[in-house]
Amino acid sequence: MKLIKDKVAKLSFVALLVTVTAAMFYAPTASAHGEKSQAAFMRMRTIHWFDLNWSKDTVAVNDTMTISGKFHVFAGWPETVDKPEISFLNIGIPGPVFIRQGSWIGGQLVPRSVTLELGDTYEFKVLLKARRPGDWHVHTMMNVKGGGPIIGPGKWVTVTGSMGSFVNPVTTLLGDTINLETYNLSNTYFWHAFWYALGLAWLGYWARKPIFVPRHIAMEAGKADSLITAGDKKVGVGFAVATMAIVAFTMSSTNAAYPVTTPLQAGLLRGMKPIELPARTVNVKVEDATYRVPGRAMQMTLTITNNGDSSIRLGEFNTAGVRFLDAKVHVDETGYPDDLLAEEGLTVSDNSPIAPGTSRTVQVTASDAAWEVYRLADLIYDPDSRFAGLLFFFDEAGNRQMVMVDAPLIPSFI
Amino acid sequence: MSASQSAVRSRAEAIKVSRTFDWLILFTLFFVVLGGYHVHFMLTGGDWDFWTDWKDRRLWVTVVPIVGITFPAAVQACLWWRYRLPFGAVVCVLGLLLGEWINRYINFWGWTYFPVSFCFPSQLVPGAIVLDVVLMLSNSMTITAVIGGMAWGLLFYPGNWPVIAPLHVPVEYNGMMMTLADLQGYHYVRTGTPEYIRMVEKGTLRTFGKDVAPVSAFFSAFVSILIYFLWHFFGRWFSGTSFTQGS
Repeated sequence: MKLIKDKVAKLSFVALLVTVTAAMFYAPTASAHGEKSQAAFMRMRTIHWFDLNWSKDTVAVNDTMTISGKFHVFAGWPETVDKPEISFLNIGIPGPVFIRQGSWIGGQLVPRSVTLELGDTYEFKVLLKARRPGDWHVHTMMNVKGGGPIIGPGKWVTVTGSMGSFVNPVTTLLGDTINLETYNLSNTYFWHAFWYALGLAWLGYWARKPIFVPRHIAMEAGKADSLITAGDKKVGVGFAVATMAIVAFTMSSTNAAYPVTTPLQAGLLRGMKPIELPARTVNVKVEDATYRVPGRAMQMTLTITNNGDSSIRLGEFNTAGVRFLDAKVHVDETGYPDDLLAEEGLTVSDNSPIAPGTSRTVQVTASDAAWEVYRLADLIYDPDSRFAGLLFFFDEAGNRQMVMVDAPLIPSFI
Repeated sequence: MSASQSAVRSRAEAIKVSRTFDWLILFTLFFVVLGGYHVHFMLTGGDWDFWTDWKDRRLWVTVVPIVGITFPAAVQACLWWRYRLPFGAVVCVLGLLLGEWINRYINFWGWTYFPVSFCFPSQLVPGAIVLDVVLMLSNSMTITAVIGGMAWGLLFYPGNWPVIAPLHVPVEYNGMMMTLADLQGYHYVRTGTPEYIRMVEKGTLRTFGKDVAPVSAFFSAFVSILIYFLWHFFGRWFSGTSFTQGS
């Protein structure tokens, strides 16, 4: 028996040693935000981010950068996700490695939650100030109450410098300029240390005498009354009176030091101003759509009708932040993240210009490893197997028109 | 040495063993309470205690004392009715605060870089001292619940005000008025904690104009009394000794 016990102990020790050693030698950086694990339909049928621009790839501590662009709130919002009636424009970063100095939707500052309307397209901008050095994956993000975080495309941004030099100056309405990074810190430490010391003093007063065994014996012997002396009561009264006096005094002195204070601000911002898009002159009807699992390709049959006065061509299909481009029509020059860009991922059976007043039915194929890498192919396992995305058409003058598509999707396994 | 013989051979040795036992039990009690109370407090007080932009004059004042009086009441019951020791509330709160400070400093600041001035814990020591003293002077669970529980609730807001007030100074920010605490919440990005999750300034308590905190504190104190009773009984039940009949 002892032999078995010794062996188990030895093996357990070896296993522990191996685990600790493995952790020491291989501890990879956790660099994603779960964007790929979010259900595909959440990314394809809720918020469509486009025209995104990260103003810098590298930024020094205390310097700023912006993420700007547009997002379309999908009209066919899934029933399984609450409507974006209470939403918050957030940013997906690993902790406050940047501070958010400002965020705007339609030109309005949005430090609070907002109401978004289905079918509308909004312009947004987030101003970030670099705080902690490192390589950070910076995502757009919309939190929707009842729906959770809806994460958008992310791009790697490098922050250089030292966090020790970071400052966050803010001027109050009373005219004082403070550094919010360190403001009130010593005051917080002081009062917590002060009260902790007073608590320890109370504990110490009782712990200086025998605590458990003799007192328990006395209690069992019916001598409970002898355990609290008149001196103890005086000390107790002293502690209680001192505590209440200190609380009253500090409350009063704090009010004198900070005569102007306001409650926390909260509320919902309604009436966000959407982009006024020009009247749509391109109509698209999705005849059918299939996703071919072995080929990592989605194929759509579209009937495109051009009601405008200039011929058009299909240049881009954008879904869940992944952009499939027809390089003959449209080339990205914004520095969009490579892993989300299929520069030649869009194939149209006949992508010659569609003349004004005519219709054409074409086969459109969006193929790229991104379907698998970003786990968009998983939408075939969704309870409501539909896809959605933005189609971008370009006319002869290079003007762009956006058309939303939404249709059932049939998976093909052969 | 047989089982019937004493383990100590002199009074001095008995005192020494007793004191060693005191420190062992106190040390263990402190850290057991720290763990249990901390988990309980994070689950029930949660974000109200984590962030300055949750520490409002309505719900923070109401929620934190109510969920905070639980362990002090239970530990008081054990230490008072079995040992006549009036430091149950203080030992709980000191344990909780030590655990919270370790958490806030190492996790919130050390790992995720939130400034400590944004995520410090709430102060509970003043109420705990008064709760212990009331129990010692009254030797009554009922009086401790009513007077001590009331004091626990009422002392919470003023006890925290010296640390909170500087963060309620207003600031104009891009055309909107905010407090510095609001601005901390906005600046220091919490990816998983969107603004709408905040439960602040909600409710129907509008009759008293801006003087909401005292009314919230009285309500909190009243509920703290009830919770004190409940958890005091938990403590008495938990610290009881039961014997089974041998065959």
